[in-house]
Amino acid sequence: MEVILTGRKLSKSYQLGEVRVQALRDVDIQIYQGELVVVLGPSGSGKSTLLNMLGGMDKVSSGELFYRQQPLHAMDEKGLTRYRREAVGFIFQFYNLMPNLTAWENVHLATEIAAKPLSAKDVLIDVGLGERLEHFPAQLSGGEQQRVAVARAVAKNPEFLLCDEPTGALDFETGIQVLKLLRKFSREQKRTVVLITHNAGIADMADRVLYMRDGRLDRIRSNENPLAPEEVSW
Amino acid sequence: MLWRKMVRDVLESKAAYLACLVVISIGLMVYTSLNLTADNLWQAKENFYREYGFPDGFATVKGIPEAEIRRLAALPGIDQLEGRIVQDVRVIFPGREESTFLRLVTVGTGQGKTMSKVKLLAGLPLDPHQPGIWVDPQFLAANELKIGEEIPVIVGGRKVFLEIRGQAQSPEFVYPMRNAQDLFPDPRSFGIAYLPLPVMRSLAGEGAQINQLIFQLKPGFSYQDVESWLEPRLERFGLLALYPAKDQVSNFILNQELSSTEATANTMPLLFLAVGAVILYILLKRIIEQQRGQIGTLRSFGYSSREVQAHYLSYPLIIGLAGGLLGSLSGLWLSFPMTAMYQAFFHLPGLQGNFSLDYVLLALLLSVGFALLAGYFGSRQAMLLSPAEAMRPPAPPSGRHISLERWHWFWRSLTVQGKMATRNLFRHRQRSFFTFVGITFCFSMIAVTGYFNNIISVMIFDQMTKVQTHDIKITFAAPLSATGTRRELLKLPGIKRVETLLEAPATLKHGWRERETVIIGLGRDAELFNLLGEDGRRVLLPERGLILSSQLAEALGAKEGTIITLESALLRGDSISLPVYTIIPQYMGINAYMDKEALSRVLGQGELATSALLVAEEKALPLITEKYREASQVATMENRSQLLENFNEMMATYGFTIWILAVFAFITGFAVIYSFSIVALAERKRELASLRVLGMTPGEVLQILTFEQWLLALAAMLAGIPLTLQLISLMAQAMGSDLFTLPLIFEPNSFVIAAVGTACFILLAQWTLLRQIRRFSLVEALKERD
Repeated sequence: MEVILTGRKLSKSYQLGEVRVQALRDVDIQIYQGELVVVLGPSGSGKSTLLNMLGGMDKVSSGELFYRQQPLHAMDEKGLTRYRREAVGFIFQFYNLMPNLTAWENVHLATEIAAKPLSAKDVLIDVGLGERLEHFPAQLSGGEQQRVAVARAVAKNPEFLLCDEPTGALDFETGIQVLKLLRKFSREQKRTVVLITHNAGIADMADRVLYMRDGRLDRIRSNENPLAPEEVSW
Repeated sequence: MLWRKMVRDVLESKAAYLACLVVISIGLMVYTSLNLTADNLWQAKENFYREYGFPDGFATVKGIPEAEIRRLAALPGIDQLEGRIVQDVRVIFPGREESTFLRLVTVGTGQGKTMSKVKLLAGLPLDPHQPGIWVDPQFLAANELKIGEEIPVIVGGRKVFLEIRGQAQSPEFVYPMRNAQDLFPDPRSFGIAYLPLPVMRSLAGEGAQINQLIFQLKPGFSYQDVESWLEPRLERFGLLALYPAKDQVSNFILNQELSSTEATANTMPLLFLAVGAVILYILLKRIIEQQRGQIGTLRSFGYSSREVQAHYLSYPLIIGLAGGLLGSLSGLWLSFPMTAMYQAFFHLPGLQGNFSLDYVLLALLLSVGFALLAGYFGSRQAMLLSPAEAMRPPAPPSGRHISLERWHWFWRSLTVQGKMATRNLFRHRQRSFFTFVGITFCFSMIAVTGYFNNIISVMIFDQMTKVQTHDIKITFAAPLSATGTRRELLKLPGIKRVETLLEAPATLKHGWRERETVIIGLGRDAELFNLLGEDGRRVLLPERGLILSSQLAEALGAKEGTIITLESALLRGDSISLPVYTIIPQYMGINAYMDKEALSRVLGQGELATSALLVAEEKALPLITEKYREASQVATMENRSQLLENFNEMMATYGFTIWILAVFAFITGFAVIYSFSIVALAERKRELASLRVLGMTPGEVLQILTFEQWLLALAAMLAGIPLTLQLISLMAQAMGSDLFTLPLIFEPNSFVIAAVGTACFILLAQWTLLRQIRRFSLVEALKERD
């Protein structure tokens, strides 16, 4: 399988207020084309930081990170922006929709700047929100909001999706719905999905599970027979 | 899409943005309207002066023969020189109590004349053989006169009827004032009439001599050159005054008005724009802090920091554009009525409103520039965040002990709310500073407004009720014997008191400084004309020596005891020296005062009176006016109540401007405090909601915000006092002129008004806050994470 992301000895520390945080320590990682990866770990284990590095949201303090042959660690802000624009789709725990744009407008906002976007409307219909295009986030349930967020990420037609606790704010049923959408994207489009969570149940649907602890990659487990989202439980 | 987001964001906090928009609009309205009006005025002045040949210099003499004028015209540097007779005559309107005057000015009727031409607006040419005159249209309109009618006037002691042949305007009398003591023109009681020299001679008698020279310079010569050649040659003809165009009363006032309009047009708007920019800056900083998560999201799916910044610049941009458009277009619209208002003051034939987009464009540029500058600084910091950092909630603002806590007695006296508020002040230093500046600014603006309001009454009523307490002032055509006149006037029925004055035009010199003025000789027992010292008490005239008005003393650089050299055409000898006895504040006019007897001795012409002040029973006043109206010895008669009325009328126009200023101050002050309060509330919604959850009432929560504001307001108001005094002194310098000065009096009233006004809109802003706090959804506020 083709490797799309390669990280060697990734480290990251940052200043938060008056405290210095060592969030990532010497992480070696490879992400393959078309796989669904779950990064598992307790809060503060560095999974969000890792996701930010992979998504070009932040630069590593030391180490090397390549997207295919492109060195992300050496890119300037301009290069990283282009990378995020063309290659990455983000999904967040709290949806992060623009509160004063409608569902369709939120998706359209992302497709406006993408190179080969899908139709915002089609994707929203695809995630089951065809009737909700003109609704504002405040008029949507949490699950619906997260589906808009998925649509927003998918509609950009990115190489891979990075999901930060996508079900963290949702109840079980709606959580499963969102996971189904992610799995569908991964299987039907043969695209990579990296999902971070502290919910061990979700790990059963992954092709591979990366365990994180104290900013280090603790171990990696491969799933020969990943479960369907309907089958996982927590 | 981002545009829609911006528009909806702006609409969400529409009140704060609206406040900002209004402030910017006001600034640009002032900018556009005043600049356009000043341009219209300037253009009309330039055209009129050029086409009708405004003279470069003026000389007033007692009388000069025509042969001499021809010789003077041949002097080097002089391009054209012309002599004319200028004489004020009284107009007799049956049944009218107040005196009315026409200034007769002779004009040449020949062809080819290029200097000081008179523009005939309507009617027939003048005929050198017929007693006809042209009159300025304002006088005609104010007195309901028409072309073809006759005006009865007293010339050379005779009553004659002059036919109005036309209405005409000269560039020299664009702002016709009878003398420099008047503050404003009054077209009903004073006008300009033009007539041919032969007609004037036939009216005033063949002995009437040319008493005014006007001249234009050849290119390459300065007024000073010509002055030094003319002055010695004119001395023997009783030179009374020799001055350049810039000192000509009408021109001087027109120019002063122009430059003060331009100064206001280019400074006041900056103040408003700065306030608007600060509000925008604060609003933008707030929205960016609030939308930290949204910024992170935008960045995460590939918006560059430049694009995000551009998005946030679109907020101030839209406000700047809207404010600029609204302000400049309303300014354009306002320039027409404003120009029309100036038409009533300055009689410039070509003066009219002009439709010009230049200032509209400039105003737009200005407002967009200011807004973008505010936006740039407001959004700069947030753009430096990396997207991952933006996604994280901001680190809690550093909670430290502040230096104020070292004052234990103070700190312990505070409630917990008070302590929170005080720490907050120091935590958000920048915003505290801007709030402080904003409150200081509007406090001072209201105080300045109050000051002007008070000061005008002080000026008028001091002058009218404390300084000049007579009912009627009669000015004589020529000096009369003081004792004889007094005795004569005392015989009038109902008369209570008569005092005579001796007024002598003179030049006062101190070192290289000199000043033309009128020395007023008063009796030592004068009660109808009082000289008041700084403390408001009467100053007694010394037996020898001068009392100077502060304005005059400053112009001469004189202090108490300074020896002043006095020159006068009335003086027998060359000049005499006198010490300055004291200096008194005087708001109107620049005069020097002397004991009447001492002045008579100095002049050496016996005991004379040039005018008399009268107090009489009220019912006797019309009779007295009637009796002397047509007397040949009487040049003018001033009725004091009429003067007071004129004053009040004129001051009403000032009052209008002042009220506009006050309204601006209120709007600006409210806009600043209101928008800052909203920002503070939004920013601390969570914190305050938590307090509500703990069980505090909305009122108690509000206290935290209000305590902060009151603390700042108190400090700001204290700082506003010296700022106000500074502003007043600047404005007094800018507005003061030879005609009147603005006294610098500490007016506690103004500050009380300002404090109350400031407190009012702070309360109003806080009231809107309280409503919002009541509407807090506690769950929402605590859950909210963006």
